[in-house]
Amino acid sequence: MAPFHLLLTLCVLAIAGFFIGRSKSFAVCSAQGGPRALHSRPIYYGILTAIWCAVPALIVFSFWYFFQSTIIMDLVIADLPDPIRFLPEDRLNLVVNDIKNIVAGNIVAGNISPAIQAAADHYKSLEKTAQVALSVIITAMAIIAIAGVYLKITPTLRARNYVEKIIEGLLIACTSLAVFTTIGIVASVFYEAIRFFKIVPVYKFLFGLQWSPQMAIHAEQIGSSGAFGAIPVILGTMLIAGIAMCVAVPVGLMAAIYLAEYANKNFRNIAKPLLEILAGIPTVVYGFFAALVVAPAIRDAGGILGFSVSSESALAAGIVMGIMIIPFVSSLSDDVINAVPQSLRDGALSLGSTRSETITNVVLPAALPGIVGGVLLAVSRAIGETMIVVMAAGLSANLTVNPFQAVTTVTVQIVTLLVGDQEFDSAKTLAAFALGLLLFVITLALNVVALIVVRKYREHYE
Amino acid sequence: MNQEQTTGHPHIRPGRSPLVERTERATVGQTTVEDPRISCKNVAVYYDAKKAISNINLDIGRNEVIAMIGPSGCGKSTFLRCLNRMNDTIEGCTVSGQIFMDGKNIYDSDVDVVPLRAQVGMVFQKPNPFPKSIYDNIAYGARIHGLVQNRDETDELVVGSLKRAGLWGEVKDRLKMSGTSLSGGQQQRLCIARAIAVNPEVILMDEPCSSLDPIATAIIEELIDELKQDYTIVIVTHSMQQASRISHRTAYFYQGDLVEVGSTDQVFLNPLHQLTEDYITGRFE
Repeated sequence: MAPFHLLLTLCVLAIAGFFIGRSKSFAVCSAQGGPRALHSRPIYYGILTAIWCAVPALIVFSFWYFFQSTIIMDLVIADLPDPIRFLPEDRLNLVVNDIKNIVAGNIVAGNISPAIQAAADHYKSLEKTAQVALSVIITAMAIIAIAGVYLKITPTLRARNYVEKIIEGLLIACTSLAVFTTIGIVASVFYEAIRFFKIVPVYKFLFGLQWSPQMAIHAEQIGSSGAFGAIPVILGTMLIAGIAMCVAVPVGLMAAIYLAEYANKNFRNIAKPLLEILAGIPTVVYGFFAALVVAPAIRDAGGILGFSVSSESALAAGIVMGIMIIPFVSSLSDDVINAVPQSLRDGALSLGSTRSETITNVVLPAALPGIVGGVLLAVSRAIGETMIVVMAAGLSANLTVNPFQAVTTVTVQIVTLLVGDQEFDSAKTLAAFALGLLLFVITLALNVVALIVVRKYREHYE
Repeated sequence: MNQEQTTGHPHIRPGRSPLVERTERATVGQTTVEDPRISCKNVAVYYDAKKAISNINLDIGRNEVIAMIGPSGCGKSTFLRCLNRMNDTIEGCTVSGQIFMDGKNIYDSDVDVVPLRAQVGMVFQKPNPFPKSIYDNIAYGARIHGLVQNRDETDELVVGSLKRAGLWGEVKDRLKMSGTSLSGGQQQRLCIARAIAVNPEVILMDEPCSSLDPIATAIIEELIDELKQDYTIVIVTHSMQQASRISHRTAYFYQGDLVEVGSTDQVFLNPLHQLTEDYITGRFE
């Protein structure tokens, strides 16, 4: 049986197990006056049977496939003729690759020696045997599990407790998946960044004022020794994110205040989803909006006012990015403002506050932790945004805070570093990981700072 | 089942005039007073198309404590919120009729609700201190109305208001602490202190003791007893004992109608309306 068919069979068996378990529970309690005599509801007996049927079999299944090819290959190598078997390791690897290619039906370069062909056939036959063995084992396990649980079902079996334990385990697994993924990503970025810092010293990376990651591809090339100073890139990121926040925070917050405090219900019901559509537009679309509409408009406006504005400018990217993240600020702020209890508003109004005094003195301070959370999310979006910057702000790493000039950001540089065709362990490629680590540290620091601010404020007010 | 209902005859006691029948909903008793502080004429409130109260005519005298009683949903809180136009904040709520205060209808289009609400303070069912310090809770109203100019005046006002609300002794060492950290009864007294800090003339209380224990309730009732020297107090309450303890006059609401008004003694000892008697004797269905 092919793996897919095997899984399908297992599925069918599990479903069958569910019904078998359930009907057994009905059967064992019929003499004692129906399902009320059972410890758990009948459905739990069914679920317990199905879980016992499917889960152990699935575990065996995945382990089997995890180790199958290695074990079979070892067996095949052991059977190879001696001259091939005792080749040096790298040559042997080539042979192994040939065998694998023949098995997979790919075209193999050069002539195939009969020994390798024989090995490939051997591999295929072993694989087939393994397949059959696995099918038999899995099916048998499932059926035995069903039978085992079937025999165990009595009115006193605490099926619900077992099922709930298993479900709790599932929840724990899902939680740890997220946590371990984060740890894994950080660890891999960290590891590669360490490799980068072996080539380029940390202080040169952190405090260097020049970013031009072009490395010499040939030894005889000149003028491309590479400079990995992250300051211009970080500064560009800050500049664009700062401009974006200058647009998004006031506009978003005021929109939220209007929606939550002033707008009538009908207007709110229409305007809020429309505003949230802004968040649904792909960033590429924002990107060409920025590059084709906003950037030329800013350049022309700058020309009229006597500024020299390059056609790719931080301002254009920042403004469009700000527009993009307005809904993050407004939607979250609107929710937290709405969550401020009406009784606080009533209290302020009944003292003779005007509406605006109520909002600025009572509602906003009470909603502040949530608003800060929304702004923080928006900052993360702004720092992580790539596409708009690529299209509207360019790639040149200028060390400037002039918003009319082209700048670049960390994420854009990561993309350009990794899309090249250099070998993976060159400084240029590894620099991407160092930048990624830096970005991670910066956003983490922002989060911590914001948390501290919010906590301090809370202590002050609650 | 009580007998009156089954026989359909009015309840007659020796030496008393017969009670007004249940179906009769015009207000009985003394609705007017001499030189009223507030005078309501034909007040009706609708939430969208749903009638909440109608045809309310009631005078509220100076320096009197008037209690609103009645079963839940009878419109007594709605009526209370008309007196400082807090109903304006509820979407779909319309108020008709007139409420005169100092000879001026507060529902006239040229009336500004901000000074009105400063004049008519309110204490709510659930204590709702701001999530600010105790000090700022009291100072807030006075600051926005410009009643205090500097730190010393503010200190004086805060101390004075807390003393009047009987809270000073308990919080004098922790004015910087958050108002929400106090106990329920203390919070409610903080809200009363906050209300009197803006120097109102009328204080509306919407079931101020309903979430408090008996001891906190007794303290608040004592406080009301003192405050009535200076303020007109309109209090909504579910507790008839409380109404009889603290109020001069009592108004009984039933299903959006003002059924009976009179001196508290008269309403509780000698009601004129069958519905009032049903309610105060616990035969309300």
